[in-house]
Amino acid sequence: MDILKKLTQIREEFHRAAGEARDLKGLESIRTKYLGRKGELNSILRNLSSLSGEEKPIVGKEANVLKKLFTETLEKIKQEIEDKGPSEEIYGFDVTLPGVPPPEGNAHPLTRTLSRICEIFVSLGFKIMEGDEIETEFYNFEALNIPLDHPSRDAFDTFYIRDKYLLRSHTSNVQIHLMQKQEPPFQVIMPGRVYRPDAVDASHSFMFHQVEGLMVSDNIRFSDLKGVLLLFCRSMFGEDINMRLRPHFFPFTEPSVEVDISCIICGGSGCRVCKGSGWIEILGAGMVDPEVFKAVGYDTSACTGFAFGMGVERIAMLMHGIEDIRLFFENDIRFLNQFR
Amino acid sequence: MRLSFEWLRDYVRVKADAEEVAFKFTMSGSEVGAVTDCGADKIMEFEITTNRPDCLNVLGLAREISAIYDIDLLIPDIPPGISGNRDKIEGIECVVKNRQLCPQYTLRIINEVNIKPSSGKIKERISSIGLRPVNNAVDITNYCLMELGQPMHVFDLDKIKGGKIIVREAVKGEKIMTIDDEERELEPGMLVIADTKRPIAIAGVMGGKDTEVSADTRNILLESAYFDPVSVRRTARRLGISTDSSYRFERGVDKSMVIKASDRAAGLIKEQSGGRISGFIKSGDMKIDPRVVDINIKRSSAILGIDLDTDQVANIIGRLGMKVLSSGGSCISVEVPSFREDISRDIDITEEIARIYGYEKIPATIPRITPEIIRKDVRAEVKERMVSFLSAAGFNEIMTYSLISEDSTNRFTSFNKKPVALSNPLSEEQKVLTTQLIDGMLRSVSWNINRKNNDLKLFEIGKIYREEKPGREYREIPVLCIGMTGSLKRNWRDGEKTVDFYDLKGTIERILDDLKVVHVFETGDIPEMAPCAVIKIPDTGAVEGYAGRISPGILRDYGIEQDVFICHVRLDNVFGGVDLKKTYRAVPRFPFSERDISILCDKTLKSSNIRDMIIKAGEDLIQDVELMDVYEGESISQNKKSLTYRITYGLDFRTLKDDEIEAVHGKIKDLLSSKLKVSFR
Repeated sequence: MDILKKLTQIREEFHRAAGEARDLKGLESIRTKYLGRKGELNSILRNLSSLSGEEKPIVGKEANVLKKLFTETLEKIKQEIEDKGPSEEIYGFDVTLPGVPPPEGNAHPLTRTLSRICEIFVSLGFKIMEGDEIETEFYNFEALNIPLDHPSRDAFDTFYIRDKYLLRSHTSNVQIHLMQKQEPPFQVIMPGRVYRPDAVDASHSFMFHQVEGLMVSDNIRFSDLKGVLLLFCRSMFGEDINMRLRPHFFPFTEPSVEVDISCIICGGSGCRVCKGSGWIEILGAGMVDPEVFKAVGYDTSACTGFAFGMGVERIAMLMHGIEDIRLFFENDIRFLNQFR
Repeated sequence: MRLSFEWLRDYVRVKADAEEVAFKFTMSGSEVGAVTDCGADKIMEFEITTNRPDCLNVLGLAREISAIYDIDLLIPDIPPGISGNRDKIEGIECVVKNRQLCPQYTLRIINEVNIKPSSGKIKERISSIGLRPVNNAVDITNYCLMELGQPMHVFDLDKIKGGKIIVREAVKGEKIMTIDDEERELEPGMLVIADTKRPIAIAGVMGGKDTEVSADTRNILLESAYFDPVSVRRTARRLGISTDSSYRFERGVDKSMVIKASDRAAGLIKEQSGGRISGFIKSGDMKIDPRVVDINIKRSSAILGIDLDTDQVANIIGRLGMKVLSSGGSCISVEVPSFREDISRDIDITEEIARIYGYEKIPATIPRITPEIIRKDVRAEVKERMVSFLSAAGFNEIMTYSLISEDSTNRFTSFNKKPVALSNPLSEEQKVLTTQLIDGMLRSVSWNINRKNNDLKLFEIGKIYREEKPGREYREIPVLCIGMTGSLKRNWRDGEKTVDFYDLKGTIERILDDLKVVHVFETGDIPEMAPCAVIKIPDTGAVEGYAGRISPGILRDYGIEQDVFICHVRLDNVFGGVDLKKTYRAVPRFPFSERDISILCDKTLKSSNIRDMIIKAGEDLIQDVELMDVYEGESISQNKKSLTYRITYGLDFRTLKDDEIEAVHGKIKDLLSSKLKVSFR
């Protein structure tokens, strides 16, 4: 019965070899070894005649069973290998080599901040309006109740071009142009570039960006200003943010306020950024002064409105912890790339 | 402005501590920055807004506290001194030449004074707020300035020449040595106090050294006056000076305090330095008509969004030093005092009520909004799409300064049209508004390369500025500027590919195609770029932009040593030609067929000529023409090149037959060889 033991051995060897088969070439060599003309099984079958009468049918049957099994197994493995794909590619493939990423660029952090601010107001129904940077004294000062020879003018120092033409120091000029052309009710925001003769340092720049807002109708209240600003502050800086209004003075609003939010770094407990007070100033606002309405020809008894303004660089610097305003205009890509 | 808390408490007995009072000040409009210790006292650092000159002194701030805490104000007892209406008494005459600039001028004569350093409260108080003590006369003028808000000045009477004080405008060329040891040159328009020989003080700004009160002084002239705010401001600015005195006159001092303050100061001087008050001169009267403002509580309540109570309002108004003349129903008539020039309308009083009431008590409401239908215009949409597309394509958006130097402008002669210059620039570096965005782009490129960021894909959507008519018309034109340099791609698998002109061209083509702006590229020739293409919109025929490699001469100026490709396109006409609508075109249901055609032609022949001819000849049977290959190599002659195009033939409504295709293809080949003298490979 050595032959039967041999057959069992052959069966085990076959299954081992088949299990390790990786590709069609390997399979072919297994097929040749076990099922070929000179293969293991066929050589046993050829020598059947040398066996005894009782052994012959048993061995013969077993050999043929194995032949069928081996053929089917090899066929199955061949199908699997073909389905999976050529193994020359798969074998030895290094998945740890660096990936080749698609190109990645981004909008400038000021564009992103501006976008975000505008988005909040647009979703409330505000319209975005832009205007010229080169403006006349009337639209930058006089119509806004800022007399040309008064200390209140000092806060709005400007670059002059020629005669009455200057570079605007705030985007309020757009408000005046709008109100000359359109009657209330309306609500608009005015983003844009403004200029002030400030020497450039870590927190000042002669050129920067603002977003101002204006809402006018027949019954806008101070409480409405508070509500809209609170909505903006929470949407922009976080749900848990607190806001407070402090009385202040601007020639074009009455009452006027400065708006603080609870410090986004320390949450109000006091830190370097908020100088220990727990509050950060981010906006100026107020009810539109009737003199402004007079300058554009509105009936002051029939309309009220509020206006607000914020510096985009300041807000971007607060939100991202940027310490030097000059970074925005150096355009180092190691800076820009951080704002994807 | 610094103020002592204990000094404040002389006029209002507030029980709260300095920190709490500082907070209340801030939340009612007088911002306190810091509270610091000073012995047993606390010093507060104030930032008062320009509309509240009445708060630039202890009395005014005490009045605020009285209103905030609803407690009594203790106005100092100032016994009236000698009065008088004469402008001349023994020894001194006063002449005011310009009534406009000086409506009232008063002088008090104090004889036989003993000038020495001040002592006691006077010295303590002014030192604590940072004023340098001088002597017991000068210090008192400073004390009264801080206490009552009226700047005054003392002259040494015996140093005055000719027995006459003249309030007049300066004469050209006049000079004065001021008490800070600076010699100042005066101009007409500047108001001075002078004697018969020379100016002895710059009115409202600073006194002269010659007549200052010193230890030798025996007789004093105490000046208290009202000077026109605009005149003082102009004078101070012109001379580059700002003093506690000019600061207050600029903002307008209290007209009713001029004489009272003189009484107060004279009394204190007499106390501190002995002396005999022997006379008073007054030149000019200021009619102080009481201003009456009517307010309607209902309207104020409506504007603020709260419910105000008439009694509460009347109380606040009273505490602020205003007089309630009458009240009936919801109307109140208010008499506004002379120290509140900023109040003239009902809205001004509404603000007073609200800030004392407390803004934190006002609720936050949402108004009724009628949303705008169109909230973003076409230009904003187009800009957004460009930023979006370029970001996704791997470009970083940059922002550059709109003010550059004249040198930077002059470097780009093709773009240097009608530059706008500032008349008061901060420096030569920021003198002119940008005429092109290329300078800014090259600066950014240079900055990055110097920091080893050599592979750059940058863009900016900015503006260029033009002075169409000096002093009358200006234009701001939106521009897209794209800059590319270095490696487009570098990795272990694909090797390295350096940026070239066609990468730039492809980017701008895609942007314009996406906006459906029809455009053509033609050979251009400007000194700034080589090679150079001009971009035109066929409808307008005008040059909208340039794209090319920046010339080496310019790169040298920026210290750049690698190729930089820049595209500069004005967007005003682009915005006009944009079509953002997406209209569906049926997906083809009939199969298309491709035929390749390999053309051998002169190197100088523009590929657009070939492509245009193919399309024209192919009539309606051509779906697409794609350039597959450009070959200039060994197997063809030096002055020739080979272009291989793949033409896709097909119809939308039926299948094209092979013989139809062969016919058109043959026709195309015939036309190409006869009209453009090409041959085929």
